[in-house]
Amino acid sequence: MKYLIIGASSGLGRELAYEYAKNKHDLVLVSRDLRDLAAIKSDLEKKSEIKVEIIELDLNSEPEIEKNLFIERFFNEIDGILFPIGMMFDDDKIGLDQEKMKKLFKANFTSIAFIISKFLNSLSSKQGEIIGFGSIAAYLGRKLNPYYSASKRALESHFESLGFLSKKTNLKIQFYVLGYMDTNLAFGKKLKLPKGSPKKLARIVYKNRNGKFKKIFFPRWWGLVAMILNLVPIKILFFMDKIFK
Amino acid sequence: MNNNSEKKFLTSFDKSYSAHIFFKKPDKYREIENHSRSNESIITIGSNYSYAPMGFDKNSLAIDLSSFNRIIDFDLDKKEITVEAGLKIYDFLKFTLKYNLWLPQVPGYPFITLGGIVATNSHGKSCGTHGTIRKSIKKIKLFHKINGWLDLSENKNKEVFDLTIGGLGLTGTIVAITFKLTELGSGTFETHTEEVKSFGDCYKKIADNKDEETFAYSWNRADNIKNFGTGFIYKNKLKNNNKTNGYLREIKQKKISNFLPLSLWNSLSVNIANNIYYKIQKMQKNKLNEDLIQVIFPYIGRESYFKLFGPKGFIESQILVSSKNIEIFMDEFLNIFKKHSPVITLFSLKNMRGEHNYLRFEDNSVCVSFDFTNTKKNMEFMRLVDKLCVKHKAIPSIIKDSRLDQKTVNDCYVYYQDFKNKLKNYDNKRVYQSAISNKLDL
Repeated sequence: MKYLIIGASSGLGRELAYEYAKNKHDLVLVSRDLRDLAAIKSDLEKKSEIKVEIIELDLNSEPEIEKNLFIERFFNEIDGILFPIGMMFDDDKIGLDQEKMKKLFKANFTSIAFIISKFLNSLSSKQGEIIGFGSIAAYLGRKLNPYYSASKRALESHFESLGFLSKKTNLKIQFYVLGYMDTNLAFGKKLKLPKGSPKKLARIVYKNRNGKFKKIFFPRWWGLVAMILNLVPIKILFFMDKIFK
Repeated sequence: MNNNSEKKFLTSFDKSYSAHIFFKKPDKYREIENHSRSNESIITIGSNYSYAPMGFDKNSLAIDLSSFNRIIDFDLDKKEITVEAGLKIYDFLKFTLKYNLWLPQVPGYPFITLGGIVATNSHGKSCGTHGTIRKSIKKIKLFHKINGWLDLSENKNKEVFDLTIGGLGLTGTIVAITFKLTELGSGTFETHTEEVKSFGDCYKKIADNKDEETFAYSWNRADNIKNFGTGFIYKNKLKNNNKTNGYLREIKQKKISNFLPLSLWNSLSVNIANNIYYKIQKMQKNKLNEDLIQVIFPYIGRESYFKLFGPKGFIESQILVSSKNIEIFMDEFLNIFKKHSPVITLFSLKNMRGEHNYLRFEDNSVCVSFDFTNTKKNMEFMRLVDKLCVKHKAIPSIIKDSRLDQKTVNDCYVYYQDFKNKLKNYDNKRVYQSAISNKLDL
């Protein structure tokens, strides 16, 4: 089987590539920098006896996506797509520059929805897999990274909608809501809660891949945090924010 | 210091230097570029197993390359491999041994990074036969904050290539290395043990070992003047017709930097430990089979040795002495040993082959190594040993002995000034700095 991993050059994407390679699947790896992809390709091919294709791609460019991904061969060969991507800006606050806002939405939501829509037919005809990765940040409006969290909320909603589709078709849809992860996005940040291991998550993702529809929190206990956030009225959260300021 | 760096309290392996330092851990090539450009003073850190503080300094941003641990290219016909610098020796050998290939010049601990072994021009037990790692390096890919990406080899940027091997990481971040691999005919060694009655006896037997296929080194007592130099010579010879079968025994990385809260090494405990070891060795067969890990990684399974040095740590002195001067050097060494009675926990000899240049610990010499506890008495003893090194043109290792001062290094390393000048010429802002480079005024 062959898998397409969008955002494979580092963090969770890289761990997923190694996990799928360990299980002898050929891969198509996509990222913005060919240097990183080339290093992963050679390492995987030397160690795992699989075939790896690499594509340098900016998810902000629809023509690039169309040209590089929407080709007949990929529609025929690819059995599953994983989207371990997440773009963040340090200055993401209300009133963010419009170009950056667009970039965030394209990378975190629109381009993912675009790619899925094009692969939907080919994947549903062969019990294909679509695996997305959201963020706990999507569960509440926030002062920091508001556009990031909004784009991740859109993504989660989209995957829930795909979940309905999975009931009627052969598609397998998985969505992971991630808490703090031990990747470069969290490096050096003073976090109040522990970070999850991308390696461990990659193993879980591979193990779960055959389920019809699943939404899973990682680490698991973030599910409880999300539930509390959903239950508490927003006015109380505003009030608490005022007190703890 | 810039944002999004992780702050850690770091201590050199020998416990001689500690500091709060800022880290960056890139996992993309462009992050190496961005992080390097974000700070005035930087240094690359490997696994931090260097005894001396080579990979960090309180004023430098430490770039941790552990995510750069991939195999970039492998040519079985040419027996060449290109790897990223954050790959550890153990993982490297796990791959190359599948093809009965290895690097014979690896140091004695398997979790050291390949970038680290290039920056320190490491050597292993077989340095009397194979020399240092320099012999196996074909190319280096380096990133320098100002000079950018550089490909280094004998044919390209040769001067920077030479400055980088054994250059303590001061020429930039070593990102990838191409090695020429050596065939390994067997995964098993036959180890012959031979008793020696004195230092002179030991030296003679080590010097007489002309067999290119045998790696000879010694363990000698140095716990008191009466038994100084007695001990054993070990000769590892590869067993023929016994291929490695691509197999490297599984070993786990242990935390070995957490030393005990007090030192258990003193003249009495060293004497007892040496007596026990001596008796065990004497009782053992003088010919036994050992696997690759036992032979090339002698500290595996013996990590407690370091822990017993306690919170003040230890110092290892490794000195290259020419065969012309070794006897007089050791006579004078024994004289000051008699006067100061230092606590030496380990003493060893082996041959070294190579050509000395810049700050490289390499020459056609005898390599004398000894570990000692970090006490005032021992430090005074070592100051006299430093003078002996200057007097007899011996070369003490900068990598091992963090105690060495700029004057001693300048007096012992004839190419010290040349290295310093060329480094300054290549990088006039002297961007890459560690605690050791600052101490040695590099």
